[in-house]
Amino acid sequence: MIDPELFLKWAVSISGGSVFLALVSIYLYSDAKPRRDKMGQMVRRVWSLPRDFIFVWILLGLLFFYIITVEVGSAPIFAAGNVIVETLLILYLLKNRTKTE
Amino acid sequence: MSELEAQQRLKTYGPNELPTHAFSTTQVLLRQFKNPIFAILIAAAVVAGVFAEPKQTIIILSMIALSVVLGFYNEYKAEKIVENLRQNVSIKALVTRDGKASQVDSRLLVPGDLVTVYVGDIAPADMRIVKSKDLQTDEATFTGESFPVEKTSDMLELEQPTSQQLTNYLFMGTVVVHGSGQGVVVSTGKNTELGAISRSLVRPHPETEFQRGIKKYGTMLVTLTLALAISIFALNAIIGTNTLTDSLLFSLAVAVGLVPELMPAIVTVSLAQGARRMAKVKVIVKRLVSIEDFGNMNVFCTDKTGTLTEGKIILRDVYSLGGEKDQRVLTYSLLCNNAVFGENVVGNPMDVAIWDYAVKNEEQESSKPYMKVDEVPFDYQRRMMSVVVSKDSEYTLIAKGAPESVFAKCTHADVSGRIEPLSAVRKAVDDKFYKLSELGYRILAVASKGVSAKAAYSVEDENELTLLGFLIFTDPPKKDAHEAVTKLNEMGVTVKILTGDNELVAKTICDDLKIPVKRLLVGSDLNQMSWTEVKKVVEETTIFARITPEQKLDIIKALKENGHVVGFGGDGVNDAPALYEADVGISVDTAVDVAKEAADIVLLEKDLLVLADGINEGRKIFGNTIKYILMGTSSNFGNMFSAAAASVFLPFLPMLPMQILFMNLLYDISNMTLPTDNVDEELVKKPARWDIGFVRKYTLFFGPFSSLYDFLTYGIMLFIFGASIPAKAALFQTGWFVESFCTEVFVIFVIRTRRIPFWSSRPGKWLTLLTVSCVAFGTILPFTPLGGFLGFTALPPEYWALLLLMVATYLLLVDAGKVFFYKICKF
Repeated sequence: MIDPELFLKWAVSISGGSVFLALVSIYLYSDAKPRRDKMGQMVRRVWSLPRDFIFVWILLGLLFFYIITVEVGSAPIFAAGNVIVETLLILYLLKNRTKTE
Repeated sequence: MSELEAQQRLKTYGPNELPTHAFSTTQVLLRQFKNPIFAILIAAAVVAGVFAEPKQTIIILSMIALSVVLGFYNEYKAEKIVENLRQNVSIKALVTRDGKASQVDSRLLVPGDLVTVYVGDIAPADMRIVKSKDLQTDEATFTGESFPVEKTSDMLELEQPTSQQLTNYLFMGTVVVHGSGQGVVVSTGKNTELGAISRSLVRPHPETEFQRGIKKYGTMLVTLTLALAISIFALNAIIGTNTLTDSLLFSLAVAVGLVPELMPAIVTVSLAQGARRMAKVKVIVKRLVSIEDFGNMNVFCTDKTGTLTEGKIILRDVYSLGGEKDQRVLTYSLLCNNAVFGENVVGNPMDVAIWDYAVKNEEQESSKPYMKVDEVPFDYQRRMMSVVVSKDSEYTLIAKGAPESVFAKCTHADVSGRIEPLSAVRKAVDDKFYKLSELGYRILAVASKGVSAKAAYSVEDENELTLLGFLIFTDPPKKDAHEAVTKLNEMGVTVKILTGDNELVAKTICDDLKIPVKRLLVGSDLNQMSWTEVKKVVEETTIFARITPEQKLDIIKALKENGHVVGFGGDGVNDAPALYEADVGISVDTAVDVAKEAADIVLLEKDLLVLADGINEGRKIFGNTIKYILMGTSSNFGNMFSAAAASVFLPFLPMLPMQILFMNLLYDISNMTLPTDNVDEELVKKPARWDIGFVRKYTLFFGPFSSLYDFLTYGIMLFIFGASIPAKAALFQTGWFVESFCTEVFVIFVIRTRRIPFWSSRPGKWLTLLTVSCVAFGTILPFTPLGGFLGFTALPPEYWALLLLMVATYLLLVDAGKVFFYKICKF
């Protein structure tokens, strides 16, 4: 039987961590503008934002998934979900590899 | 002076020795503790000791011992190698005491001693010349001037003369290349000109860029650690369920967990291993900490003589007035020559160069048929010498000397066998002479005339000569200098030339080496500038000519203030202050002792190409050190942050202080082979910079990844495995220990490269081996007696399956984070 108070504290902690990471990502993204300008790259357009932040969407999706599976308390669902996320991440990494890689 | 008086003066003035840095074992040991990280560790050990926590104290002390022993062993070994390289050569001097001349150890010389010097001798002290015969010295080590300087006993009427103007002085360390002389010792040891330079070097080395970076990083870490430890203790004490002592020990353990205690040792091991690898390519590292700056250096200032040039005068060409090859000019210069033959040819460098040229071109035999009859020696008024030779009963007077002097004695010129009045060809001759001089060459003219036989010849016979041609001398550029300069440029290192020699010579060398010259500046121009202007011109100037040692120092300071990591290469006494001031002072094994003493790095071969190898090595070491720092500040920070958060909402400590410390120790051991790791090509292509802002942002971004997975493990342990009550605290702690340790250690494979791990960047084999071994040990630990001793318990089988998936997702997510951090955010 899950202690609701403890679960809430835990959920707040892990969500807090994820939100913090998302905020740091936004900060770093805005901080990158001078470097992009220096490298002579065009300012990234508004519609490239969702694509640039794919990693954050994956992160937030993972957070949602982890909170649900932990609440359900099912190890098999947890395992299956992880495998799906890992596949997605591998595809993302392969798509983003450079020519030398 | 009497022997007795000399002994008394020795007591007053001390031995004729230069001050040097002495190697001290104690200093090497104490240096290991000179780090704020140790202050935290020692404080933690003391507190744990006070609260009767021997296990905790032992673990912290083990960490300190591991770091100190590793650091000390490596640094001591490196220092010992350097110490062995310092040779104690005893130089003898020919001294007249009590009216008798005898060889005396130069360390026993005192002011007032009368010393005689001959060709090849090194002046053993600063002396006022009282007698000289055609005396010339090589002062290249003081002034950078490759050609010999004339010395006489003449009085000088100069107000406040510079050392270069003191032509009646012999300076300690300069070499007699021609003639002989006698001088009275004026000053010895540290009171000599050389001593003054040496004395200025016996002071703490200016901090290198790397040291400044490490210091900033240490301060950042100590601040963070203290803030976090105090917050944890306060939160636990106010709202936590643990006792005050437990809270204190826990916050201390978290503080220790945050500290990358092995960093000093990792840095020293990296540096020492790098130094050993560099020794294999004949680069000796005297000051370990300079290796990182060596790699990160982006401006390399070098003296010309001996580094870009051979540091040896050669006869470049023999020019006859007709333009075609005329054997006579060379043959006559071989005859009108004072080089002495022993094991090697010695004497005036120009005379030696003529012989070297003849031997190289197999033309030395051409002088054999002649017999030397008489010689009118060289003197500085005439600036020429002449000999009379005979062949087949024909007598010829041959003169060789400074062109202006020889021209003055000539009435005719031999142009392709035609004897013409000199006045008819004078313009062409002058044009040629000035053109060659403008290219920075040293020229000697050769002339001759037929004479009748007589008992002796004199200066009066040097008239109505026929000019034959010129001898063109140069200090040639090194064969590999162009390749080396190009390679350095490709590596992102700008080369600047700082020379005491004249601008024409320096420009010719640059042209020969195809070094593009943006701007050329002479010392006198530099003197007229304000500091702001100096800082501006040093950026755009390639050649600084006719500069003094003080100006070299200013140029380096200005470049450093402009934010460059500056290397300086030199081998003379005049280079020593600049070698000391530069972030990386580079000298060569054949350099004067004072230059080697001042340098951080000594090249055993005067080969600029080995510099590129050294830079490469330095960059690898820097790359691996940064890896450790990024690892330590990101995963460590994340783990300790989640531990702190959990301690507030859990009814028990998420991990016992002893367990945190043990995990930290094990983690440190896993990192010990990091210095041997491979470094990606792109990281060694360009100079890297220590950027504390980057480290901070990296920590801010990658730290929370680790925390997220810690929180996830808490959730799994609490709500899937039911470890939410104090009775199951051990299960919770074990589960988190294993997850935290596995993710913390394995993430090195992701963090160590900007590329896809293993796919396009392979880790070093020793790093892989030790990391995997440590993880294996960490995972079986709960099943061992040691695990029991540390408070761990066996984990359920399902946990291991979940752990495997969690670790894999974590590593992939961090790698995806890298895409965002490096590719999208352009770090």
